[in-house]
Amino acid sequence: MRAVTAIAGRELRAYFLSPGGYVIGALYVLVNGWLFVRYVFNSGDPATLRPVFSFSMLAFMLICPAITMRVISEELRLGTIEMLLTAPVRSADIIVGKYLAALGFLVVLLSPTLVFVGALEMYGRPDYGEMLCGYLGVLLAGSVYLASGILASTLTSSQVVAYLTTVFFWIIMLLATKGLLQTDLLPMAWQARVDDLVIATDPELKLRDFAIGLFDSANFVYFGSLTVVLLIASARSLEARRWL
Amino acid sequence: MITTHRLTKKFGRFLAVDSVDLDIPRGQVVGFLGPNGAGKTTTIRMICGYLRPTAGVVRVDGHDMACSPRRGQQQIGYLPESAPLYSEMRVQEYLTFRARLYGVPRRARREAIGRAVQRCSLGKVVKRPIGQLSKGFRQRVGLAATLVHCPPILILDEPTSGLDPTQIREVRGLIRELAGDHTILLCSHNLAEVELTCDRIIMFSGGRIRAAGSIDQLRASAAGEACYIVECDTDGAQSALAAVPGVDRVERTGRDGTWQRFTVTADNGEQDLREEIARALARTGGSVRELHREAPTLERLFMRIMDDTGGAAT
Repeated sequence: MRAVTAIAGRELRAYFLSPGGYVIGALYVLVNGWLFVRYVFNSGDPATLRPVFSFSMLAFMLICPAITMRVISEELRLGTIEMLLTAPVRSADIIVGKYLAALGFLVVLLSPTLVFVGALEMYGRPDYGEMLCGYLGVLLAGSVYLASGILASTLTSSQVVAYLTTVFFWIIMLLATKGLLQTDLLPMAWQARVDDLVIATDPELKLRDFAIGLFDSANFVYFGSLTVVLLIASARSLEARRWL
Repeated sequence: MITTHRLTKKFGRFLAVDSVDLDIPRGQVVGFLGPNGAGKTTTIRMICGYLRPTAGVVRVDGHDMACSPRRGQQQIGYLPESAPLYSEMRVQEYLTFRARLYGVPRRARREAIGRAVQRCSLGKVVKRPIGQLSKGFRQRVGLAATLVHCPPILILDEPTSGLDPTQIREVRGLIRELAGDHTILLCSHNLAEVELTCDRIIMFSGGRIRAAGSIDQLRASAAGEACYIVECDTDGAQSALAAVPGVDRVERTGRDGTWQRFTVTADNGEQDLREEIARALARTGGSVRELHREAPTLERLFMRIMDDTGGAAT
């Protein structure tokens, strides 16, 4: 545990010492602010952050891989990985430490949106349960994106490759879940099953539940277990480097 | 303190380390010597648990690195080649991070870091970001980081590569200072460095140990053949020298007016042929202005090992 906090602490500091983090943060806040003013903050409209959450879902798909692309790749490139892997810590400690730091950075990134909550409170009667649920959903989805980005980062010493791999993966997932990759190669009966399966994995549908304040434990388990599986795969992938 | 048994590492089909047996006792300073690509770094990486061996066993302080790697790693302070560091961190932060990583308790941390900083004379730069430091300072930060958890074993891979002569002297001095209470494994392709700092030398080439022993032992084995330098002014000197019993080769290496310079080699280095050579030259009637026996050097042994294995490696 001591190693996890040491690694998470170092990693989080590194985020705030790199200019990239600020650029991403500023961009995210800017677009969110515009969305809020344009689609939420109008008299007569419901006091809800749903547009902000929907946008965050899409934005995180691009932002999270950027947050995580360097976590292992950079250590591989600089050779500092040798220092980490010869310290008396488990590969899992390294991965969990880095994941927690990335999640922490995501929370920091999300925190300016609390201003919107304040604004809604001043001019309307927002439903806090719904908002809390929405934030939880966005963080859970972000956590899956982060974990997938960490896995990609353990596979290559190139940050660009790590970023593109993750983004491509999620874009393909997005196209598949929106039914844009359908072919007529499969028999009809199969096609229906495949469609069901693909739709069952659509993260956006699950987030939509969270955003309207519906806390479904199935959705929670979906994001949670996906994160855990991806983190285990990352730890394994890091450990496999010793066997090269 | 460190033992390996038939330690082997293959990268694909390439055999990087080939059944290496080591036994390094507590308190010894051991130098791994060999050209680049000899398998020194790979061996070290397996000892530190960075790489898993293809076959064979590593034990560090009695802990099998395959079963309980973290116990063994706790005993080691490892400075990888070219001392990779996080350049955005300050020296103090980095040392604190390392101390936490190795589980130095919070209360002991400040003192441990203070000691490492003092030992490596980093007092002036503790607040500076590592990225702004010179190569020499960075190397010392790397060295200080290996010391924060007070490990009994230090493993240093090319600790002086890329440093200027003054910095090299400083780092070597530091290693000699640390030698008192640590078991040190030093890896280098620089013979002089190993000769200056180590009790025992292990010569690597082509993934195998080619020679091992104390400096004196290795010198003695380098004495396999003896060399004599002779300078005289007789015409028949070459044949006279060749006729001396025990001499195997005579080579003329220089000429200065009537003076001729010869290198005489005898395969049996145990025997001292100087008197025989002097008598043989006296019989030719000419004058002699130099006759000496070249002391066997480690360098000669080193070169011979490299020559012997050079063909096999390619």
